[in-house]
Amino acid sequence: MKILIKNGTIVNADKIFEGDILLSNSKIISVGKNIPESADKVIDAKGKHVFPGFIDLHVHLRTPGREDEEDFLSGSKAAAAGGFTKIFCMPNTNPAIDAESIAQWIIDESLRLGVVDIYPIGAITKGREGKELTEFSALKRAGCLMLSDDGASVSDSLLLRRALEYSQMENLLIVSHCEDIRLSGKGAMREGVISSKYGIRAVPDIAESLIVARDIELAKYLNKRIHIAHVSTAKSVEIIERAKKQGVKVTAETAPHYFTLTVADVEKSKFNSNFKVNPPLGDDKDVAAIKQALGKGVIDCIATDHAPHSQAEKELPFDVAPFGFIGLETAFSLTCTYLVKNKVIDLGGVTEKLSANPAKILGFKQCGKIEKDADPSIVIADLNKKWRVSAAGFHSKSKNSPFLGEELLGVIEYTIHKGKVVYSGSNR
Amino acid sequence: MKEWTKQHILGIKDLSRDEIELVLSQAQAFKEISQREVKKVPALRGKTVLNLFFENSTRTRTSFELAAKRLSADVINFSSSTSSLSKGESAVDTVKTLNAYHPDIMVVRSVSSACLYDFDKYTQASIVNAGDGQNEHPTQALLDMFTVKEIKGTLEGLNVLIVGDIRHSRVARSNIFAFHKFSSQTTVCAPPTFIPYEFDKLGGVEVSYDLDEVIGKADVIIMLRIQQERQNSSFFPTIREYVDKFALTGARLAKIKKDCIVLHPGPVNWDVEISSAIKDKVHPLILKQVENGLAIRMACLYLVGTNKR
Repeated sequence: MKILIKNGTIVNADKIFEGDILLSNSKIISVGKNIPESADKVIDAKGKHVFPGFIDLHVHLRTPGREDEEDFLSGSKAAAAGGFTKIFCMPNTNPAIDAESIAQWIIDESLRLGVVDIYPIGAITKGREGKELTEFSALKRAGCLMLSDDGASVSDSLLLRRALEYSQMENLLIVSHCEDIRLSGKGAMREGVISSKYGIRAVPDIAESLIVARDIELAKYLNKRIHIAHVSTAKSVEIIERAKKQGVKVTAETAPHYFTLTVADVEKSKFNSNFKVNPPLGDDKDVAAIKQALGKGVIDCIATDHAPHSQAEKELPFDVAPFGFIGLETAFSLTCTYLVKNKVIDLGGVTEKLSANPAKILGFKQCGKIEKDADPSIVIADLNKKWRVSAAGFHSKSKNSPFLGEELLGVIEYTIHKGKVVYSGSNR
Repeated sequence: MKEWTKQHILGIKDLSRDEIELVLSQAQAFKEISQREVKKVPALRGKTVLNLFFENSTRTRTSFELAAKRLSADVINFSSSTSSLSKGESAVDTVKTLNAYHPDIMVVRSVSSACLYDFDKYTQASIVNAGDGQNEHPTQALLDMFTVKEIKGTLEGLNVLIVGDIRHSRVARSNIFAFHKFSSQTTVCAPPTFIPYEFDKLGGVEVSYDLDEVIGKADVIIMLRIQQERQNSSFFPTIREYVDKFALTGARLAKIKKDCIVLHPGPVNWDVEISSAIKDKVHPLILKQVENGLAIRMACLYLVGTNKR
């Protein structure tokens, strides 16, 4: 099936221009003015912005193990509704994605469902226990491009060294969840005046940056690549910026909640468990540093850390409720509302952070841009429209979002993947 | 005097100075009831008070139970050891379930800090915080204030010294907020490991690591209970060293102001936070606190229970 997108404002990272896009299920056939209407479907995108499909390097799809919270279909639909056409699911499932068969199964399921591309991220260690390495070659053969023990930090520095070294053989990217687990302990929020005032066990910001520093030192020493997951603190940004200046092969992501929310919002929410996330929400200085780092390119991309949890789990008291919230369906609009509108990044920056840079990190040469022969994954959005976040509106099985009730700018109208409309927003 | 309008008593943080004074004067009026031969008034007759205790407590629960009974309320005790919590029912579910009995007041004790603020989503009852994790224990602070006012005649301009495990203490937090509202200054004194991060930025709090230096300035000393298991998690090396630095001993008692009063939320670990050699000197007032606690809890239940909102 061929789709023609007419008169849209095409947003590449380096150039914004008006034009038509003709695409098939395998590639973008042509981009230009006044392409003849010979397609099976024509979408009028006049006044709309057209982006290359977004790529999320960090989601939790809870499958296998907690299919009641999210499964591949609901996760795919949530991704499509958020403009994401490629998503990378973390291995903190039950069982963990630590073997070829599980990774292969996820890729098979993704192809069978045919909504968006789901890529498994393999575990670094068996059972994510931080003790023994998984079979990196077998995971690569099954289709893994990245490895992580996300949710857990690899505490053993020697083991992480071995992983960084061994992964090079298969060109696998190690994604590091940076957390000194002894310092973070049972902490439920960022340590500071608010946690002290309410007697809530808390996590110091250095629990993250200490391990960011360690991991960067290891990568630098070994001259290996490393990707830092969900950067949340000003201190981590400072360390990453310094490393990048020195030429260390480090890339980094942050999540929308780290440029939108602070620990003050946790207090304002009356310690609603929907505001509990790991790493925890920081203070104004952190938010300012994360924004600046996105603007300057110190942080390469925005990943959602989409973390579905059941209602029962999120009804638990703040100090014992599980960490994380869903993010696939709000990431783009949060980026528009909190970064573009405030001129932290420009429109090209949206493509860069949500598509072009993740593609670059993965080595996906045909992704992250709209041009002839590129990947036929497209997002069409109305940047003048607003929408209100509601539980009922989510495609995810879980509804745990700290943004419920908030009005956001930027409505996704179509998501096209491999020449097929996988989401159309007429129903929002 | 101002009328009481609050539906809940969740913490001292949310109470105004006027509201605290209202509780104290109400408690003053109720104190006499417990000295009568018939220790009962019909103030809450026909009302149901649910003592919902998710954490073990006998003293606070007894105090609330007796307070409710002296006001002629019907009281039901529900504690986690005898409940379905061990079967995986969440606190929220328990509150919803018990709400089906249409209680008028829920007295809640919980292990989770700051977990009561949204309970009113699940029940129409008034909620009285009987201690939520390490956040607040408002009735304890109120009874401490009541006791101080009874003896000192004022709550203003006092130097309050709180000694011990500040980090894990809801009693310390509630007292700090309470005394701050009366322009009294609190000094917390403990090993640095027991002082929460950036605690001096809280307002109304000074931090000291040297009991001998600050003890002579205090008008009120509140000694906190030390849980021995903290020793194992490196908050302090040994009880012996803790006692040496921070226990109230005969020698330290000799250094306090003549009219300084010593309080303790109980139960006391004798020879840990307070030397048993001075038991005769400090214990009577600690027992007085228990008596005052009953009057304070009667006042709290009465005010939220008869509030015409």
